[in-house]
Order: sequence, then C-alpha cells, then structure tokens
Amino acid sequence: MLNILIIGNGQCGNRILDAVNKEAFGGKGKLAKFYSKQKYKSRVETIAINTAVNDLKELKYTKAKDRIHIPHLHGVGANRNVGKQVFAENHSHIMRQIEERGSFDVAFVITSASGGTGSSFTPPLIKEIKERHDFPVYAIVVLPFREEGSLYLQNTAFCLKDIRETGVDGIILADNQFLKQLGGDVESAYNSINDMIAKRILFLLDALDSEMMMVTDLGDFKTVMSGGAGIATIGFYQAEKDEPIRTTIQKSLSPAGLLFSTDVYEEASRSMIIIRGDKSYLSIDEISTEVEKLSASVGHVFKGIIVRKGERPQVLSVLTLESASELENLYAVAIDAINEEREKKARVLEDRNVDKVFSKIDGLEPQY
Amino acid sequence: MVQTKRMLVLIICIVLLSMMSAGNASAKQILYNSTIEDGDGYQINNYVIDVTDVFVDAETAVFKVYEKDDLKHDKMIGDDKSFSFEIEGEDVEVTLVSVGGGILPRVTVTITISDDDIVHTKGVVDGGHDKASFSGTPILEITKTVSPQEIAVGETARVTVSVTNAGDDDATGVRFSDSIPARFVLQESFVSETGKMSLDIGDSRQIFIYELKATESGTFTLDPTTATFSNEAGGDFPQASSNSPTLTVEGDSLEEAMKEAELQFTISLEPTSVQRTGFIDVKVHIKNTGDAPAEGVSMDILIPDGLEFEEGDDEIEVVGNVPKLYLSSFGLQQEKEISYRVKANSEGTYTITTQYSYQYDNAVDEDLQEVSDELTTTSIQVVKGQYDSLLEQPIYVYAIPLVLIIAIGGWIFYRHRQYRF
Ligand SMILES: Nc1nc2c(ncn2[C@@H]2O[C@H](COP(=O)(O)OP(=O)(O)O)[C@@H](O)[C@H]2O)c(=O)[nH]1
Repeated sequence: MLNILIIGNGQCGNRILDAVNKEAFGGKGKLAKFYSKQKYKSRVETIAINTAVNDLKELKYTKAKDRIHIPHLHGVGANRNVGKQVFAENHSHIMRQIEERGSFDVAFVITSASGGTGSSFTPPLIKEIKERHDFPVYAIVVLPFREEGSLYLQNTAFCLKDIRETGVDGIILADNQFLKQLGGDVESAYNSINDMIAKRILFLLDALDSEMMMVTDLGDFKTVMSGGAGIATIGFYQAEKDEPIRTTIQKSLSPAGLLFSTDVYEEASRSMIIIRGDKSYLSIDEISTEVEKLSASVGHVFKGIIVRKGERPQVLSVLTLESASELENLYAVAIDAINEEREKKARVLEDRNVDKVFSKIDGLEPQY
Repeated sequence: MVQTKRMLVLIICIVLLSMMSAGNASAKQILYNSTIEDGDGYQINNYVIDVTDVFVDAETAVFKVYEKDDLKHDKMIGDDKSFSFEIEGEDVEVTLVSVGGGILPRVTVTITISDDDIVHTKGVVDGGHDKASFSGTPILEITKTVSPQEIAVGETARVTVSVTNAGDDDATGVRFSDSIPARFVLQESFVSETGKMSLDIGDSRQIFIYELKATESGTFTLDPTTATFSNEAGGDFPQASSNSPTLTVEGDSLEEAMKEAELQFTISLEPTSVQRTGFIDVKVHIKNTGDAPAEGVSMDILIPDGLEFEEGDDEIEVVGNVPKLYLSSFGLQQEKEISYRVKANSEGTYTITTQYSYQYDNAVDEDLQEVSDELTTTSIQVVKGQYDSLLEQPIYVYAIPLVLIIAIGGWIFYRHRQYRF
C-alpha cells in the first residue's frame, strides 16, 4: 500500500483537490461523505492550502483539518512576489502540517500557474519538500484561459519556470484553454475540468496501487515522468457501450482524452498506458497493436492491465513530452505580455515625467 | 335469782309485744307509759292531754284534751279505765293505770295511738296545755297539669307541676320526685327544681315544666309528683302527692309517622370492556323513592389506580384527586343522572366504588337522619390496547432502531464536524 500526499494550492488547486476527494467518494452528491467511504486503495492524505479563507470554505469533500488557511491581509492577489513572501513567512507551519501526516511514497501538488497563491506557493513548497524528503513530487499545473489577460500569462510563464527549477520530478499539464471545449459558463467549465482532472488522478492512484496483469508501478511511473522535458500530461477515455478496446486506447491519446493539447505521436517521449475493465473487453491483440503503434513513434510504452469484473474498459495514458508546441505558443504570448506590461509601466513613468513638465510652471503667473 | 327471772320474763314480753306491733300496723302503738303529775299534760302534735285533777282516794283522775287552746274532751275516769279520741284521723287511747299520792298527786297512764306516723311532736308538758308549744303542719298541695290534653303522635304536650304550701307551718327540706312516663320522650325541660328547698306558708312555686313527645297512641295517666318535707320544728310529714292528669295521644304510632328519604343509586357502564387508553362512560342515576326529601347529598367517586377520571358533568368537582358531587337537596321522587368518563390507563379488572351520604328529617326525631353507604360498579375489563403489543416488545425492538438512529445521527454529526471549515 502506497502512502500518497496530494496538496492543492490556491483556489484552483483547492478545488481540484476537492474534486479528487469527491471522486474518491464515488463522484456522488454532496451527501456522499455522510454515507460513503472514500475508495482510495492507498493511504491518501490531502491538504488544501490557501490565503483566501472563502476558497477553503467552499470545499465540500475535504476534511476541515486538511484545509490550511494562511492568513494574509487582503490576500495575495495575483502578485507572485507577495505570495512568495507570505509562503516564506509561513513555510514552517505548512511543512509541519505535511510532516505531521507521516511519510509518503509520492506527492502531487496541484495548482494553477496563473493565480497568486497557488503559483507562488507551489515552487518553494516543492523545493522544500524535495530538500527534506526523497520521495518523488509531481506538480499538476493548470494553465489559464488565454483571454484571462497578460498578468495571468506572465505569472504562468514564471511559475512554470520556477517549478522546473525546484527539482520537481515532473509537471503534469492541464490546460483550461484546451479544455474549454467542455463548454458551459466559467463555473461549470471549471467544475467539469476539475472532475476530469480528478478522475485521471484517481485512476492513476488506483493503478499505482493495484494488482496488474502486466505490471506498471510507481517505479514505472517515475521512469515515464523522468523522460522528456519534464513536462507531461494525461489522457483518459472510457469506452461507450460496445466500443472496442482499440478505439478506447486511441481516444485516450486523442485531444478528446488529453488534458493538454499535444500530438502524442509527435511530441511524446515516454508513455504509460493503463487499461482497466472486464476481461471480455480486453483483447490482447488489439491492445498490442495500439501499444506498438504508439511505441513506434514514442519508444518504450509501459503498459498495465487491470482486470475488473463487469467494468467497461477505461484507458489512462501518461505521456511525457519532448517538446510542447502549445507551451511554446504560450510562452510567446507570455513574452509579448511581459513586454506589454513593461511598456505599460514605462508609460506610467513617462506620465510621471509629464507631471514634471507641469510642475515647471509651479509658482509662475501667466503674463499678459 | 327471783329478780333476774322476772327481768327475763319482762324482756321476753317486751320483745313479743314489739314483734306484735311490727307485725300488725293497725295495732296500737304505745306513745307513753309512765306517770304524769297533776297539772302537767302530755302533748301529741297540737293536742295536749292535761291531767287536771287527781283524786287519790277515789283512784280517779280528770283528763282534759285540748287542741291548742280549745278544749276538746273532758274525761274523768277511774282506775284501769280508758278513753279515746282522734288526732288527725288516728285513734288515741289514754288508760289510767294507777293513781299515786305524795307531795303532788300523780297518775300512771298508758297512751297509745293507732298509727304513730302522724306524730311529730310528743311528750310530757309541765304546766299542761298552757305551757305547750305547738308546731304547725305544712300542707303541700301539688298540682300537675298537662296541656294540651290531647295530642297526636310525634307532637308534644307541656307538663307543669306547681306546689302551694296550704298548711300552717313552713315546709322545710322539701324534695320533689317526678318520673317521665313510659311511651313518652322528654323533649325539653324548662324548669326542674330537684334540690332540697323550703316553702313558706302560702307560697306557690313551679317545680317542673317540661315537654313530652308522644311516641304511641293511647290514653296515659301520668304518675303523681310527690314531695317529702318537714315542718319548721323538723317533724317529718308523710309525702305529699299531686293529682294524676291524663293525656290522650291520637294517631299512628311513631314508627308509622316516621318518614324516610330513600335515594336509589344505579350505575351503568358503557362499555364494560375497553382497550387500554380507551374511555368508559359511567352514568349514575339517582332517584328518591322515599317519602321525605333528602338534603346534603354527597358522592365521592373512588377511581381505582389504573383508571383515571377524564371528565364529567359540571356538578362533579375534583377535590384532592377525588371526583365529588354535592347536591344540597333532593326532593321526593326527584331523579337525576350524573355522567362522567374515565380513561383506562392499564390493563386489569376494576370496579369503581361510589361512597354516598345524605340526610333527611324523619318527622319524628329532632336530629336529621344520616344515611351513608357505598355502591360498587360491575367490573370493568381493560384489555390490551391496539398498540400495546408494541410496548410489550422486548427492549431491543426499540433499542435497535434507537441505537441505529443515534448512531446515524452521531455519525452525520461527526462527519459534518469533520468537514465543516
Ligand atoms: N481548471 C480550473 N481552473 C481554475 C479554477 N479556479 C481558478 N482557475 C484558474 O486558475 C487561475 C487563477 O488562479 P487561482 O488558483 O484562482 O489563484 P490563487 O488562488 O491566487 O492561486 C485562472 O487562470 C483560472 O482560470 C478551477 O476551479 N478549475
């Protein structure tokens, strides 16, 4: 049995964490916590950290003792510098909370890259965990909607960079912009994105701690995650009715199943495919064909099969990316945004110079 | 020796004589048997027998009998001769036994009287009747009247006893005795002079005034009221008696005159068998079947444990947990129905006892008659209620769901606390 730690930072991280806890209750309604038991295979500890107490209050499936409020006057806003400072002031408190929960085999830290609290707490937190412990730590990072503005893009760019520099064992990307297709208003889009992410995380946790027909374990996961540019994403698909396992695998690797826009056959470097379902669906031939197709372009594919009586087949794929054109696009936009911000600042400064011009006639009287 | 023999004979004679006189009341009783000197007298009550002349030689003496100062008899009799006269109807006989000489001549006489009861004063009087002191005779005239003389059973008649001293001397030590006749009840006594008293000459007094209540019809003669008394000199007189008035009582005997209030209580129950927590309606029907009205009718309804008084007519008042009823009067042939309702609280067989009491005037006795009794209903069966079998279930039948509810509640609370931030 694995000991797994999941931390959600900031509003986005908190909510996804709550969605994970909800999914663990079987994805049922609000009252599930009163009659249901979380179906984690492993010992899973979840911690939600935020400076905004209201965000913590919103959570429904995360125990109160697992919600850690870091008080800071007026919150952090989207200012990562303030966030970093607040973390520095409270890091021992946060670390104590983590360490009180015992030792772990693996940790996941969920955050948005663009906000204030999550994006600024996550890098130093991962850094500190990595310094103190030797279990792998993976960041699950949510990228913003592109239209959210230059400040968010700028934060995203710096945040991702910061996280990479912490010694993190891998970054799993989920892109709001890419997942926007799920539709609806922002709030329901968030909820369905969160549910998607949660479902994948839970499937992954379940797979890491399961008796498999073909073995993939935490070691394999680590191997996959250590490949490529340290950037990864997850695909998932559950077969409809009588969909054959072949199309199920394909769809998990397609944009319909991925959390981040990528052409896996082009960009993936290492991968892991976990197939779960009733034996009757699991045609080894089909599975082999699909895995071979992927490994032809990706290299080694770790595969695991979990037999579950009566379940329709579900496929989870974990892919590390060699390159991420979408990320490059994002950085390009981000750089533009940074420049734009700088120019804005410069203009403000200039405006100050205009003030100076006016101040030159202070004390003078117009002469007629 | 010869002397003692004589003494014995004399004593025997005296004893025999006294026995004879005791045996025969009408026999002469010797008042005096001795000598009287010439010029002296012998007094019996107001009479004095004077010895006026003694002729020793002729063995003859002259006796003069005075009633006070009045000369009544003048007798000269010889030796061994007698003469008689009457005092207050009694015969007095004076016998000259012998005549003796000396400085003063004297006679030896024997004086007898047929009944010495009348004698209150006697003895030799020196100097004869002139020197005698006379005491009078109080005469008590007692009158007993009854009014009215005809009454009905249950009615009263007033008896008045009065006395007048019609004699010539004060009466002292007067004591009256009177008895209440049988078949009558002393209703009230107004005057009752039962102690010793005196009654001066000519005085009148009321001695008794009382009311008798007749209990039976008939003609009754009341016993006379009597009095014993003495005169001033202390001489006792024979008892005086009153007349004996008669009283006629008419009508029924008292038993027949007596009236009675008779309340009949009947209780009906509806139903007589009820499920637990059910109700029983009780109706008490009261009827006065007697011939007198009742008053102060009170009823205490004793509800046994297991039943409970629920509600009832307005007249029923619950005092100290006991439903009570009070009716100040209940007329002849009057009927009334009281209803109340009891609740069956626990299983069992019960009866309800009603204690009642009332009073009435029986038209004979002065006090009100009190009747008290109790009445018990037929039995009431209280059976298991519809849901009672539930109550009889063993504790776990309740305990399990209860524990479950508590456990679920506790769990929800625990979970709520666990997830409340
Ligand atoms: N997928 C997802 N994205 C979210 C959610 N909430 C906020 N975000 C994104 O997170 C970014 C804002 O960061 P947030 O976590 O709210 O800020 P922080 O609380 O200061 O860390 C924006 O780009 C939002 O689109 C959520 O519930 N789900």
